[in-house]
Amino acid sequence: MTLTFDEVLKRPKRDGSDKAIAELKSILGDRASTKPADLFSYSHDYWLITFHWLLKGKVPALPDAVVFPESEEDVVAAVRVAHEHGVPIYPYGGGSGVLGAAVPEYGGIVIDLKCLRDLRLYDDDLMVEAGAGVNGYYIEEYLNRKGYTLGHFPQSLYPSTVGGWVATKAIGQFSTKYGGIEDMVLGLRAAIPPGKLIELKPHPRTATGPDLRKFFVGSEGIFGIVTKVWLKVRPYPEERYLLSFASESLEDALDSVRRILRRGARPAVVRIYDRVETKRHFYKFEEMYGKIGTVMIVEGDSRLAKAEKETVEEEFRGTPTGEEPVRHWLETRFNVKEISEFAPVGVVIDTIEVAVNWNGAMNLYENVIRAMKSVKGTLMASAHASHFYDQGVCFYFTFAGVPPKGRSAEEFYNEVWDAAMRATLESGGTISHHHGIGRHRKRWLPEELGDAYEVLRKIKLAIDEKDVMNPGNMVV
Amino acid sequence: MPGKWDWLKDEIGLSNLLTGGRMLFKVIQGKLSVDDLTKCALCPNMCRHACPVSIVEGRETTSPAGKARVALMIREGRLKLDPDNLEPLYTCLGCDLCTLYCPFEFSVADFIRPVKEEAVSKGVVFEEFREVFENLETSGDVYGKADSGADGSGIVLYFRGCTVRNERPELAEKTVEFLRKLGYDVFTVKETCCGLPAYNLGNTELFKKTARKAADKLNATGAELIVTSCPSCAYTFRVLYPKYGIKLKPQVLHITELIGEVITGLKLSSEGTVTYHNPCKLAIHLGEKELLRSLLESVEGLEIREPRRELFCCGHGGSALSRLKPELAEEIAAERREQLKDGATRVVTACPSCELALNGDGLEVVDIVEFLLEMMKK
Repeated sequence: MTLTFDEVLKRPKRDGSDKAIAELKSILGDRASTKPADLFSYSHDYWLITFHWLLKGKVPALPDAVVFPESEEDVVAAVRVAHEHGVPIYPYGGGSGVLGAAVPEYGGIVIDLKCLRDLRLYDDDLMVEAGAGVNGYYIEEYLNRKGYTLGHFPQSLYPSTVGGWVATKAIGQFSTKYGGIEDMVLGLRAAIPPGKLIELKPHPRTATGPDLRKFFVGSEGIFGIVTKVWLKVRPYPEERYLLSFASESLEDALDSVRRILRRGARPAVVRIYDRVETKRHFYKFEEMYGKIGTVMIVEGDSRLAKAEKETVEEEFRGTPTGEEPVRHWLETRFNVKEISEFAPVGVVIDTIEVAVNWNGAMNLYENVIRAMKSVKGTLMASAHASHFYDQGVCFYFTFAGVPPKGRSAEEFYNEVWDAAMRATLESGGTISHHHGIGRHRKRWLPEELGDAYEVLRKIKLAIDEKDVMNPGNMVV
Repeated sequence: MPGKWDWLKDEIGLSNLLTGGRMLFKVIQGKLSVDDLTKCALCPNMCRHACPVSIVEGRETTSPAGKARVALMIREGRLKLDPDNLEPLYTCLGCDLCTLYCPFEFSVADFIRPVKEEAVSKGVVFEEFREVFENLETSGDVYGKADSGADGSGIVLYFRGCTVRNERPELAEKTVEFLRKLGYDVFTVKETCCGLPAYNLGNTELFKKTARKAADKLNATGAELIVTSCPSCAYTFRVLYPKYGIKLKPQVLHITELIGEVITGLKLSSEGTVTYHNPCKLAIHLGEKELLRSLLESVEGLEIREPRRELFCCGHGGSALSRLKPELAEEIAAERREQLKDGATRVVTACPSCELALNGDGLEVVDIVEFLLEMMKK
């Protein structure tokens, strides 16, 4: 997939591309660009291996044009043109996806949705209407000002967009109380081939056949392009408690949270760090060092939050370590710098998030760590549990390593990923909790879905018979 | 207390240290460093939300990390140094709001400056900027209108700046009146530009030439203190001049800094509600994030409502964007107006460019000097 920048820039365009671009330029004017700087800027998302390529002057792919719609009608027009000319079209939000879902693999048109910025609050209905391009931090700031919160705080809050959250089935750090984006979507609009805008209206609940809203959540642009969403909002929390604990074992900490959830308490943030990650993130807190660190935030209506906090204190097996570790986490949670520091010197780093039921949790954790460490070149592998459910938990693994002699960064990267994905499947887990599938993870999807994979593929082709919507992503 | 990287040393161990881990250790020991532009280019844009251009234009190419990537590709020779590829680099307000959210505290404007300087040195200059350079060369004024004022003398010099002289001469008169009411016997001189527009546009040689001329003139007055209306002029005198070895003898204060020293003694009071627009140059580059608000808080009876967002450029900073893409600059100003309206419709600011950019569309924007002077006259 890697080509030098010049090679890609000089490659012949696919059939229909020139006509499609000419038509888009006639509709969108200078909001359709073929400038090299724009083509380069949309050659990647935040799929980490692509940055190793970029440093060597290679890109995964280049689009033939980038378009910047300012209305839903513009998006529909772009989808229609792509469909008519059989040219691929790839939606682009904040570009913070880590699995290559926004990489324009087969050339064609990238459609950046960040100019769709409508925003409107419906107070009585506890609902906000947002254009797909609204920035994550921007919507939260807007709601806070009016006394509400979305409760959705992915680590990509600053660079990502509402449409991107929906398209990738994102989740935030406060999910144990507020849920993932799928729990917040009340309705949406999407542009689908051959060039139509469909609307799934925002209702509190609807029994009108299968839930088509969910169908677009996590679809990563393979069916259509989400243009607008209606999301649930919550009153801004009256009370917030910061709690942290140091436990002797990961089992103790996990089991504590399992019991807390069984009793009905819903802390917004729960993060349990294994020994390595506790040392890494909380080295300033001696009482945590060498143990299993947990940080929690309980928030909401003041009476309810107090009751939840008391439940946590009753059930948690570990030494309370106060508010400071949580403050530290709050202050540093958006510091993303590892790739910048280590990728240029050849260190390969990535994160892998999977989910598993409670009864297989420890087994999966140990198996995945062991599998990643078994790959020659891996220097470290660690994890924290980041999202919790009545039924189980999400583990967020991190690995770092240097490709051994004779192996490229990409080969090493794929080997560690394969080891982790195999160990997850063998341990009864799901291969993705919230980063999605993209181009990188699609190789393990048939095994995860079994016969349902073919169902997904057929649905995709029924909607998008010419396979122009983000082709090559998720399904083959 | 364990060190920041002890966990990694424990985890990797000695055997790996001798093989692949060596590089990792060199990095954490600071013996192997990555250049800052590359680091910025590899970031997922964790400051995108802070960047007014990114919020309003929404184009990946002009996002903070997007600019760094384009600059990196130009530096590496993979993208040409031509106007098309330079345009995203000039789509920057120079506000440095990105710096506030960067774990490395990087300034994207600083990273891309060498590319702009190279472009100017090779004659790759936008027509919109040539006029600025010619004006500075010929008249010493960014608008091309040489100052027709006379040279005064004294201890406290009021430096009006190009924008006030050309666009808001009445503010200059009021500022002189205000300073005299405070007891300062201020004087003005026949000014030339501080040089910042040339610096912003990548013409560092012209900046140095313009700055030396201005410094010579100001030094010759014998003034001990220079007070400016424009925080950009204060920043240029105080931060950029020393950086480029240009000696300016008088102390320099932005007007808000001087007011800050005396306001409690003024015993001012007012009714009504205001919000405020903090100029980037004052808040970020002069490090006075709280000053404007604190001046307003010193006024008894005044209700101060925060804007939806504390810091957001008016769209006219950085000298480039308002010339190259005036529609985008206006869209950013419109976005800022909406944020301010969440606070109040009367807005106090402390920069003539911000005031000019934001006034209108249901907002009454006033300079802090005019705002306080009105109270002093009652």
